[in-house]
Amino acid sequence: MTQIEEGTVHGIDRLRGKTTLREILEVATGFEASARDFYNALIPKVSKRIRYLVEELAAEEQGHFDLLTNLAQRTDIAEQVKTEMERTASDSKFSDCLHLPNLGEQPDDQAVLQYAMGREHAAMHHYGELANTTPAGPIRDLFQYLASEETKHKLELEKIYYATIHRGGGV
Amino acid sequence: MSVRDLLSPFTAWKNLFRDPVTIADPLNDRPGAPRYRGFHQNDMEKCIGCGTCETICQNGAIDMLPVEGIATKQGDSGLRPRIDYGRCCWCALCVDVCMTKSLTMSNAYTWVESDPDAYRFTPGVDKKHWDNAELGYHRPDGHQLMAKTRLHMGEMEPEARIESFAEIVEGYTIEQARLEADRCVSCGLCIATCPAHMSIPDYIAAVRDGDYERGLKLLYETNPFSGICGSVCTHKCETTCAARHDGDPIAIRWLKRHIMDQVSFEQCLAVVGHPGPSTGKKVAIVGAGPAGLTAAFDLAKLGHSVTVYEALDKPGGMTRWGIPEYRLPYARIDQDVDVIRSVGVDIRCNVRIGKDITLEELHKNHDAVLLALGLQLGRATRIPGSDHADVRKAVDLLRQATAYEDFGTPRQAVVIGGGNVAMDIARTLARLQKKQYGQVQVTLTALEDLSHFLADPDEIKEAGEEGVVILDARGPQQVVIENGQVTGLKTWRVKAIFDEQGRFAPSYDESDEQFHAGSMVVEAIGQMTDASLLGEALTEQLIWNRGRLQVDAGGCTSEPWLWASGDMVRGPDVVSAVADGHRVAKSIHEMIAVTEQAK
Repeated sequence: MTQIEEGTVHGIDRLRGKTTLREILEVATGFEASARDFYNALIPKVSKRIRYLVEELAAEEQGHFDLLTNLAQRTDIAEQVKTEMERTASDSKFSDCLHLPNLGEQPDDQAVLQYAMGREHAAMHHYGELANTTPAGPIRDLFQYLASEETKHKLELEKIYYATIHRGGGV
Repeated sequence: MSVRDLLSPFTAWKNLFRDPVTIADPLNDRPGAPRYRGFHQNDMEKCIGCGTCETICQNGAIDMLPVEGIATKQGDSGLRPRIDYGRCCWCALCVDVCMTKSLTMSNAYTWVESDPDAYRFTPGVDKKHWDNAELGYHRPDGHQLMAKTRLHMGEMEPEARIESFAEIVEGYTIEQARLEADRCVSCGLCIATCPAHMSIPDYIAAVRDGDYERGLKLLYETNPFSGICGSVCTHKCETTCAARHDGDPIAIRWLKRHIMDQVSFEQCLAVVGHPGPSTGKKVAIVGAGPAGLTAAFDLAKLGHSVTVYEALDKPGGMTRWGIPEYRLPYARIDQDVDVIRSVGVDIRCNVRIGKDITLEELHKNHDAVLLALGLQLGRATRIPGSDHADVRKAVDLLRQATAYEDFGTPRQAVVIGGGNVAMDIARTLARLQKKQYGQVQVTLTALEDLSHFLADPDEIKEAGEEGVVILDARGPQQVVIENGQVTGLKTWRVKAIFDEQGRFAPSYDESDEQFHAGSMVVEAIGQMTDASLLGEALTEQLIWNRGRLQVDAGGCTSEPWLWASGDMVRGPDVVSAVADGHRVAKSIHEMIAVTEQAK
């Protein structure tokens, strides 16, 4: 990219379209943290009989947050996280997901499950897209791992949703 | 000495050039006839350990024994026949009666052992050289000691039954019931499957003998809801019936109903007898469904003073308020409940816990409290438009229908769901529509394809016969509202509801959108318990296990004075609720006894 090109509108757009892996990691870490905080704040609001669900969701998000935080602090991949890459649509979609819904004062299990499934679905897509646009290496492996984790989690939540909401049987 | 004398010994040599007339190795090379009844073979893949072979053996040559590596499971006793060739007379009755055709006889007939005990062996387990022999005696097709087909129970034709809420099935006549009972081989595999472990082969034998009093006693030994279960039991017992391997399973549920049809209310009262001598202990039960009333029955028979609190105006729980009368006439519920009342159970209706009396008061005034609440609340899809007043829950409508309340029968309705509750409300609406408008216009949509519907196949078939349009694999997307009125439901085709691992992972074909017209949409998906009566403080105090109250094997919660049972703990099923009621009553009685001993 030349100086002249950078001065053009097209060049500025391209520059804005780029980001570093560190920045992407920060956005993703923020995404996990906000979800964790959301669930943690929800724990005392929900009835004890469904609290396990929210506690498990918070623990899940904490696990992902720890993983990303530890990765960002690793010295052996310091160079890689500086790599510039094309900003993907997913990068901004993470930010969209940070706008958390208002589930009311005492949400029930269905509302919590519906929110959690939506969030896992978005995260699964975003991490998958990030993995596809990240150069081969530990960061791509991480995004692939996270995409797979979110997929498993989403399937697990869907199973719970089906058993609880569609097939009956529970307090 | 003549020349002849010299040569004659050698004349036999001529046979060197002829075919032999004897068998060189008679122990190994002489096969039995193709249908010879030789040593037994048993196909381990087919054998279910029903023991019918043992029962029929005239010489006591067969013993059913456990085998290492073969576990007991539903529909398989885990036992396998061991045959004693010191007793066997090779009659092949065991092969003729085998319910799964697993037992056959090879055409092998030679077996040399020095140890006489070796001639007791378990075919299929103890490996023998004839295990893979193809020839021998196999029960010929069409040669069967038991009738394959179950006796058809008469029922109303669809055109007639849609006109009213009259019970559909007629019940067996005495002759029909005896013929059906004759098909039972009394293997008892059904007993393990029945949650209440009813003495099924014995009461079927009572039907065969025409001894209904004995049958009734056997029913009441394990199930005070035999009238109700005779009509609407989920009859899981029939899924493990040995007869189903080569024909129809025995109509166990209908035979139970037959006994109840043949006896009078007075005979029931005589069989259950009187309450036990008073212990002076008091138990409160919340909920007058099968679990609560079974526990009440047992506890009253043990001499405890039992009071059952019911929020609605009649007892019976979901059997009354959730099952339409055409499947379960209310008179049958009343009879079962009245028999339970006869042993001294005090049932107080129209008493709502938390409003008319608190749980704390029950705790204070009783030695034990049992919650037997049932699943009386319907789940919602929460799709757009589903908060409209004309989007109703099936359980609410069924309750209103039972109370003969007018909920505004829609001319056209759409039901969401593929379980028995969905079928119940669809068929209830169909009857009401027929009466009010002269025609049925009910569409039922379900996420699942037909093979994965939760409803009984009979229910699905009968709903279709009554004019309910059943659309499977349709995912509800939106309740359509125009000018403030519900006009129908929009659905997408479900491409797949489960992934390769069988997990719920619905995917839709958005291009296949359908609109189902209806001025009312009824949600008939999951159900849950209204646990609000527990209150915030007790809810916090109790230990929960993934959304359900944590209980021990006897149904006791983390609070030593509080038990829970039935649908709210085990999920919806009448006979499981009955079994749970027994377990909880035993636990409460033991707690009372221990407390008394400690004094």
